[in-house]
Amino acid sequence: MKIIYKFRKKIWSFFRFIIIFVTGFVVIYPIIYMISCAFRDKNDMNNPTVVWIPMHFTLEIIKETLRAMDFGNTLKNTLFLCIGCSILQVFSCSVTGYGFARFNFRGKNFLFAVVIMMILVPPQVISLPLYTEFIRFGIDRFFTVNLLDSMLTMYLPAMTANGIKSGLMILIFRQYFSELPKELENSAYIDGSGALRTFLLIIIPNAKSIFLTAFLFSFVFYWNDYYMSSVFFTDTKTIAIVLANLENELKMNLFSGTAVQISPREMIVWNEAGCLIAVAPVAVMYIFLQKYFTDGIEHSGIVS
Amino acid sequence: MEFAGVEKYIKVLTEDEKYTEYLEKTLFETLWKTPVIIIFSLFISVILNQKFRGRTLARTVFFLPVIISTGYAYRIINGDLQSSENANISQFSTMMSVDFMGEFLEFSGIYGISQNAEKMLSEMADNIFGIIWNSGIQILIFLSALQGIPKSAREVAEIEGATAWEYFWKVTFPYISPFILANIIFTVIDTFTNPTNQIMERIADMRSGWAFGEASAMSWIYFILIMSAVGFVTIIFRRNSGGENNL
Repeated sequence: MKIIYKFRKKIWSFFRFIIIFVTGFVVIYPIIYMISCAFRDKNDMNNPTVVWIPMHFTLEIIKETLRAMDFGNTLKNTLFLCIGCSILQVFSCSVTGYGFARFNFRGKNFLFAVVIMMILVPPQVISLPLYTEFIRFGIDRFFTVNLLDSMLTMYLPAMTANGIKSGLMILIFRQYFSELPKELENSAYIDGSGALRTFLLIIIPNAKSIFLTAFLFSFVFYWNDYYMSSVFFTDTKTIAIVLANLENELKMNLFSGTAVQISPREMIVWNEAGCLIAVAPVAVMYIFLQKYFTDGIEHSGIVS
Repeated sequence: MEFAGVEKYIKVLTEDEKYTEYLEKTLFETLWKTPVIIIFSLFISVILNQKFRGRTLARTVFFLPVIISTGYAYRIINGDLQSSENANISQFSTMMSVDFMGEFLEFSGIYGISQNAEKMLSEMADNIFGIIWNSGIQILIFLSALQGIPKSAREVAEIEGATAWEYFWKVTFPYISPFILANIIFTVIDTFTNPTNQIMERIADMRSGWAFGEASAMSWIYFILIMSAVGFVTIIFRRNSGGENNL
């Protein structure tokens, strides 16, 4: 009996390896290409014998791209934006999701349809109304303030659960909270604590994994957002904006003055280096955070 | 200014053959892609939730699509991959496409399946890249949903001597069914609003050709179609699970 069990386990782990390997390969393939291109000399792009392993290994391209992106300042801006927005967005969306999951009120179904529409309506549609709102923020004739090019243009929507892809977050939170056992809160309500207190003290500790997931999503969405931030920001640069304008940045900062001719094929090395720089920090962050995804949780506070 | 009524809508639906053809195509694509993405991501997330050596690496690999496909890097890498005419790379992409599937089917001696199924299979193989790259968010949602299963449930199942298969259907599935709904809604919307799909391109084309009336009529029809698709999914789910935990 035990041998059969062990044998089955061996077979499964073999198949698991095959599945992960094959599907993972599809993901990894462009990544390998990216890394391979980022570390090669630009002349290797014209050399047909170089496919994967660069002939002239160099760190110059990465260094040049970092310089062109003004990496230190850009990273500081981006982190300031991402961390602030993610925390605000996760909090506002979780409260909203909790409301949809646990409370009954008039117009709930209609409001939830609005949440679904938030996923559906692309940012391109709402960017112009938001722009006109932020350029003269406040009440007309009493006081207005121009919020453009300040972080508030991103913080305010995040604070009010209207940030980037907030609809998806609210949906996830709602689905998670609605399956938590009601007994969790009952004892807190009997002890006389209010809804917000219950949420902070009972629900959040029991929903760590979903908060982590939502934070990761939020961070990635803000990290990658170039559309909204390029609408609102004029001088503030984030990594996504710089990456989207990488060619211009390179021309301005690196190739100026020198009459170098860069063919589109040679341009690839800088492009891929830029991608690597933009992707690597989030990937590293995920490696550190994913260990908190541990199997199974104990719902503390339930007496059965 | 004159009120045009529903004239433009009728015109778009009856006269613009491309639009109706693309509508059909997109609808069909969403219809088969959504279940494939959901099943695939559920499968992968169950695997990633097990304990094995190299799990951190595997989880990171399947998180990479989330970082890359939502950002600008995806465009750059995609464009560069296509523009660099490396012999090996083009070989790789043809290996992944239709011929490969057809040859595989012939090799394994399957001739009998109908033309349609074969076409669908080859289309699927053609789309493997897209499916895996579009499943990142769903995988992560499922992975976090799997964390919500209490340890006690697993212990009880072990004492009762449940097989992995039974455990999946009796414990895992009920726990994550709200997330299946959330993921289906997200996937449906994501597939419909993918900027590379033909309807979106058609609308953008009309707009850049200054046919704003037709373009907005098209967008409204499309919008209503997506909303009714989402509503349809929700209603089916509500029927099947008593409604308490779902929408």
